[in-house]
Amino acid sequence: MSAETALSPDLENGPTDEELVASTLKGDLGAYDELIRRFQGRLYGVIYHLTSNHEDTNDLLMEVFDKAYRSLPTFRGQSSFYTWIYRIAINRSFNFLDKRKRRQGSMSLNELDEDGLPKLDLPDISPQNNPNKSIMLNELQNKLNESMLKLSKEHRTVVTLFDIQGLAHAEIAKIMGCTEGTVRSRLHYAHKQLQKSLGIYLKK
Amino acid sequence: MSQKEDFSELQKLLQLKRLETPGPDYFERFVDAFHIYQRREILQKEPWYSKVVEVLFEPWVAGVPRLATVAASVACLLGGVAFFLGPIQSGSVTLANGKVAHPRGILVAASQKEESLQIQPELIDTAAGGETTELRPLYVNGHGAVAYDSRLAF
Repeated sequence: MSAETALSPDLENGPTDEELVASTLKGDLGAYDELIRRFQGRLYGVIYHLTSNHEDTNDLLMEVFDKAYRSLPTFRGQSSFYTWIYRIAINRSFNFLDKRKRRQGSMSLNELDEDGLPKLDLPDISPQNNPNKSIMLNELQNKLNESMLKLSKEHRTVVTLFDIQGLAHAEIAKIMGCTEGTVRSRLHYAHKQLQKSLGIYLKK
Repeated sequence: MSQKEDFSELQKLLQLKRLETPGPDYFERFVDAFHIYQRREILQKEPWYSKVVEVLFEPWVAGVPRLATVAASVACLLGGVAFFLGPIQSGSVTLANGKVAHPRGILVAASQKEESLQIQPELIDTAAGGETTELRPLYVNGHGAVAYDSRLAF
């Protein structure tokens, strides 16, 4: 399981998501805060890897939790809360991407955070004592983001959920409302596209 | 799987993107920031059209159609059915003598007052040229009886 999907200690020992939803509906706002803490990291990751912009991700994440809170009375438990809130995050991100595309014709790489790197308080992954390696790593990250943005939003979503967040095909299918076969086929196509554009950075 | 379809190196590379996440401080502050956001959203008065725009651009929430989407679809459907099956169209013409001629040659014998449309079973002047013709009421709708003059049909 990836770092982003790792279970928090509360999730292992505390109430389940569905119990927290029930408590929230009874008026316990602290329960919703707990749900936010459980999902904020993973949802941040999904939205960020779709938008490639940290400010937009922050705004969208607020919107997602707000929307989910308002829609909670309509949550009937037919799917897990986890699937449900992921769907909201992906739908919101897709709407945002469509609006951005309509506004600008197509996604401009200038909309990415500077150098493709986050502006927020991110851990510095650049090797401290090797400036050449650091430059190469930055270049690689830029290229990686650029290649991801060339994929359609559906392909980018499956790559994000599978390769970056480590979800299983079945979980992705539930979230995206499609079959596992579709997930596999989208993933295969996306991998081929990425392999083509990132080939020079990959070991033969 | 062929050599070309081995994506393991690519998948390792993609894992680099896991590092593109804010530090723990951001997430520790997020719940408080969210409360501020929610209060601001509640206090902010939405313009009347925002709900319409929201339903138009986002008719589904998490894969489930909104109640407003369902209601609007049903209203459109009923409106369409009423339009095609409705016995009388709304546009009508008031004749010189105060009688009302309905489009498609239907004459409605009525008083001047819109709210009191009613049949006058006696002779009715037609819109064709003021000839006096006896018309027989054909059916009754919500406004009263309706008479039909075939010479006006088109």
